[in-house]
Amino acid sequence: MISKEELEYLAQISKINLNEIESRKFPKQLDKTIEYIDILEELASDDSVILDLQEMKIEELRDDVVRMSGGKQISKNITEDGFLRGPKMK
Amino acid sequence: MIGLEIHAQITALNSKLFCSCRGNYRELGPNTNICEICCGLPGSLPVINQKAIEYSAMTSLALGCKVPDKIMFYRKNYFYPDLPKNFQITQYNVYGYSSIGVDGIYELDDAKQIRISRIQLEEDPGRIAYSEGSMNVRNSVLLDYNRAGVALIEIVTEPDFTSPKEVRQFLNKLSLTLEYIGVCDTLLEGSVRCDVNVSMEGGNKVEIKNINSFREVEKAINYEITRQSSLYSRNLKIELETRHWDDRKKITFKSRSKEEEHDYRYFPEPDIPIIVLGNDFVSNLKKRMPELPNQRFECFVSKYKLSEHTSNILINDKKLADFFEATLKVHFSPTEIANFLITDFKSLIEDDSESTDYLKNLKVKPEHIAELVKLIEGNKISRITAKDILVKIFESGMLPSEVMNNTNSYKIADEKTLMDAVQSVFDKEKSAVEDAKTNSEAINFLLGKVMKFTNGRADPKIAMRIINNKLHNPDK
Amino acid sequence: MSNLHDLLAYEVVGGINGGLFSAEEYVNSILKRIEDVESKLHSFITLDSEGALSAAKKIDRKIKEKEDTGELAGITVGIKDNISTKNIRTTCASKILEDYVPSYDATVIKHLKKNGAIILGKLNLDEFGMGSTTEYSRYQPTHNPWNLDYVPGGSSGGSGAAVAARECTVSLGSDTGGSIRCPASFCSVVGLKPTYGRVSRYGLISYANSLEQIGPICRSVRDLVMMVNIISGKDEMDNTSIPSSPITLNNKLGKLNVAIIKELITGSDHEVSRTIYSASEKFKEIGCTCDEISIKNLHYALPSYYTLASAEASSNLARYDNIRYGFDLPVEEYKWDTYFSKVRENFGEEVKRRILIGSYVLSSGYYSKYYLKARRLRSLLRLELLTLFKKYDLLIGPTMPIPPFKFGEKIDDPIKMYLVDINTVIANLAGIPAISLPVGFSNGLPIGLQIMAAPFEEQKLIDASYDLENSINIQRKTNAI
Repeated sequence: MISKEELEYLAQISKINLNEIESRKFPKQLDKTIEYIDILEELASDDSVILDLQEMKIEELRDDVVRMSGGKQISKNITEDGFLRGPKMK
Repeated sequence: MIGLEIHAQITALNSKLFCSCRGNYRELGPNTNICEICCGLPGSLPVINQKAIEYSAMTSLALGCKVPDKIMFYRKNYFYPDLPKNFQITQYNVYGYSSIGVDGIYELDDAKQIRISRIQLEEDPGRIAYSEGSMNVRNSVLLDYNRAGVALIEIVTEPDFTSPKEVRQFLNKLSLTLEYIGVCDTLLEGSVRCDVNVSMEGGNKVEIKNINSFREVEKAINYEITRQSSLYSRNLKIELETRHWDDRKKITFKSRSKEEEHDYRYFPEPDIPIIVLGNDFVSNLKKRMPELPNQRFECFVSKYKLSEHTSNILINDKKLADFFEATLKVHFSPTEIANFLITDFKSLIEDDSESTDYLKNLKVKPEHIAELVKLIEGNKISRITAKDILVKIFESGMLPSEVMNNTNSYKIADEKTLMDAVQSVFDKEKSAVEDAKTNSEAINFLLGKVMKFTNGRADPKIAMRIINNKLHNPDK
Repeated sequence: MSNLHDLLAYEVVGGINGGLFSAEEYVNSILKRIEDVESKLHSFITLDSEGALSAAKKIDRKIKEKEDTGELAGITVGIKDNISTKNIRTTCASKILEDYVPSYDATVIKHLKKNGAIILGKLNLDEFGMGSTTEYSRYQPTHNPWNLDYVPGGSSGGSGAAVAARECTVSLGSDTGGSIRCPASFCSVVGLKPTYGRVSRYGLISYANSLEQIGPICRSVRDLVMMVNIISGKDEMDNTSIPSSPITLNNKLGKLNVAIIKELITGSDHEVSRTIYSASEKFKEIGCTCDEISIKNLHYALPSYYTLASAEASSNLARYDNIRYGFDLPVEEYKWDTYFSKVRENFGEEVKRRILIGSYVLSSGYYSKYYLKARRLRSLLRLELLTLFKKYDLLIGPTMPIPPFKFGEKIDDPIKMYLVDINTVIANLAGIPAISLPVGFSNGLPIGLQIMAAPFEEQKLIDASYDLENSINIQRKTNAI
C-alpha cells in the first residue's frame, strides 16, 4: 500500500509536481503497479551479485585525445559573458 | 577520530573522463569547453577515457590498495543545477564489483598506518557562480559547465587519524605521491578538495565540506575539535550533521545543503559495460609507474650514498630531486652536488617554490651546477666563490667558466701571491698576530682576513699553511 | 508516375539510379501523399519538406554528374521523434522538449545521410517511448491506416503508420519493450528489433538504455535488410555497441528447427492464435520442424521489464530540468528546486507514473526487493533462451496477444496497457533480435508473427521472414485512406 506520505516523498525526490487529478489517481494506480511487480518476490534471493553484464576490455577504450566540439550546445538563457542563467539557490 | 574524503582531479589527462573536451578548463570563457556529452544533452552517451583508469589504478597502487581485475560504474542520482544529467557517474562497492582501489594502507612517518577504505573514479560537476549584487537580492545564478565531466579520483580513508597534525602530514605525503605519479598537480587552483569527518569519543560524526585546499584542512579540523570539545564540556549534544567550512571567517557552520535527501538510488550505469582490466594489467602498470617517494628515498640512500637527512630534503621537493638527478647525468658526484643543491642553490630559489613552473624557467641548468661542483672539487675555486658565481648564473644564465673569466674568480694557489697577501694582513693586524701565537681562534681570524683580502679566492689550505709558517718563523 | 509513393525502397533506388524518375519527383509524390492523408493519420510531429526537397535536388545533381549517390539514394526516411536530428526539432512527443533543437545528429542519422537517404521528418510516439498506442503523445495520437478508429500500436506508432500509409519509404523506430514490433504488427508492416548492441544508441534519447535499440520499419523484408545493414555497426561514441556482420538476402531457407512458445499462444485472442498456427504451417511445408515449447520464467518477464525500465527511466529523465534546453519558462521567479519540480510537472501522466515507480524500486528499502530481483530474472531468462537456441534456430509466436483495439480502450488502466507488451518484452530483456512480420487479419485488423533468434543471428530471422513473405498472400495496401 503506497501511502500519501510515500507518494509525496517520491514526488519530492523525483522533483515532480503532481496536479490535483494526478494526486487523486496516482496512489491507486501506483499501488496496482507495485502489486503487479510484487510477483518478483517469489524469485530466490541472491542479491549480492548482478549477473550477466556486458563486458569490455580496457584496450578498447577511448584514447586521451582532445577534440573540441564545434556546435552550440547551449543556446537557451545565455548571458553576455557566456554563462548560463539558472534559478537562484536560496 | 578523523576521517578524510579527498577529491583530486586527474590534471594529467588531456581530455575529460567521458568526452573529448579539454581536461584543463581553467582560463577558458564560460561554457566554451562543452559538448553534448558533458552537457547531458538528450541522446548523448558517456565514452570513457582509458588513461583515466590507468592513472586512478596507479594511485590505488601507490596507496597500497588492491586493484580488482574488473571495475564497474554506478549512477548516483540527485538533482542540482551544477549536475547536467542530475546524476553523477561514479563507483560504488556495496553490491559486489568494486571500484578501482580498495583496502589500502598508507604509512605515516611515525609508522602509524592509515587505512584507505576505497578509491573511486568519478566525474566532476560544473560550477555555480553568483551574479553581482548581494546574496539576498540575487534572483538567478550563473552556471558554467566547463568543468563538468572532468575526471576525479576520490580517496576515502577510515577515521584512523587522531590529530590534525597527522592529517596534515598525510595530505603532504599524498600531494607528493600524486605529484610523483604525475596524476594531479595539487597546486593548480581547484584541483583538490577535501571533506573531513570529525567525531569525539562516543559523539556523533560531523562532516565538514567545502574545504578547498589542503592547507585549510588543518585549520578546519582544529576549529571543529574546539567547537565539539566546548559542547562536550558543557554537556551539550554534538549533532550528527554536515557543516560548511568558511575560509574567510575561518569557522564551520551548519549547512542546509543538497545533501539532505540522502537516498541516491545507486544502480549500475547501463551505458558503460564492466571494464575488464586483465590479468597483466597491474603488473604492467607497476613496471611503467614512475618511482614513488619512498622508493626514490631508498635509491638516494643506498645507491647514491646520501645521508637520510639530505635525501629527505630532496625527496620532499620533487622538482629539486629531478634537477639533482639531471645534474648527476652530467657529472656523477652525488654527495657534493646534493649538498650544494640543498644549501646554496635552494636558498636562492626559495621564493619561487610556490609556483608550479618553478625550476622550469630558471636560468640555472643542471649543466651549470655540474660544472660548478667540478670546479670546487678540482680546487679551482672556493665554496664562497662558488656561491657568488651561482648568483651571477642565476641572473644571466652564463656558464660558470664564462662568469669566472669575466670576474677573475679562480682560486689563488700561487704561493707568492698568497705570501704577499698574508704579509699585508700581518702588517695590518699586529695585535691579532700576537694573539695568534697562543690562541687558535685568532689564527682563524687571520685566515678570514686573508680570504677577504683576496676576495675569497685564496686557497684556504695553502693560506693557512703560510700563516702558520709565518707565525712560527716571523722573519721568513 | 502517379503512385511513386507506393514503391518499395529498393524500387526507388533502382528507379532513380536508372533514370526512370528523379529524386525530386519522388519526394514530391511523397509530400503530396502526406498532404492527402496526414490530417487523418497524424503520423508526423515535424515535417521537413524543404530539407527533403533540397536533399533530393542534390541527389539529382550528383546523378547528372555521375557521382556516387549511395545505397539508399532518394529513399525518404521518417525518423521517430526520440532520435536526435541536427537542426530539426526533436520533442520525444513531450511538452518538456517543445523547443529543443539538437546540435548534433544521432549516429544512425549520419549513416543514413552518408548513404544518400533523405530525412523526411519526425514521427509521432508515446511520450519518451512509454506506451503502446501513441495515446500518450502530448501532441496527438496517430491513427491506424487500416482503420482510423483504431490505435496504430506504440510507442513507434507514427513510424508504423507512416510506412503503412506510404507517407515515407521506410522509417526508423526504437524498441524498448516492443515499440517497433507492436506498431509493425498493428499496421501490417515489417519491423525489426536488432540484437542489443548491433545498432549504435548514440543520439537515441534514452528511456531504458539497457533494453532499447533503434530499428527499421519497412514494407518488405528486402527494404529492411537494406536499412539494417546501413545503420548497424560498432560506434566509438556508444560503449555498448558491438561489431556485427552484414545480412544478405538471397539465402535459401534451410531446414530450421522452429518452436512455438506455448504461453504466448494460450494467452492470445482466438483469431490471433489461429492465424499464427496457419503461418507456422508454412514452416512445416518447407521442411522445418515445428515444436511447441514452454518458457519457464515467462510470467516474471513483464514485471521484471517494468521494474527495470522504470528504474532506468527515472534516472534518464532526471536531466529534464529546463535549464539547458526545453521550453519557455523564465527562471527568475523560482528557487532552483521549485523550478525543477514546476518544470517537470509538464511531463504527461504515464511518464510521471513510470518515474515515480522507478524512484520507488531504486530507493534504499526496495532495491533488493525489486530491482535486483528483476536483474536476476533477466539473467535467468536470457540463460533459458540461449539454452533453447542451442536446440532451436527460431522461436515464434504472435507479436501481440490481441489485434489492434480502439482508442480509449486501455488508457484508464495502466496494467491493462502494460499487458499488451507481454509477448515482446522477452526479446528486450534477453537482448536477442526479434522481427514482426504481417501474416493476416482479424476483421480487417492486422496480425503479426514474431520470430526471435539467438544474439546476432538476424540472418536466420531474415531468411525465414523473406521466405514467409513470399509464400504468404495477404493484402499489402490499406483501403481505409
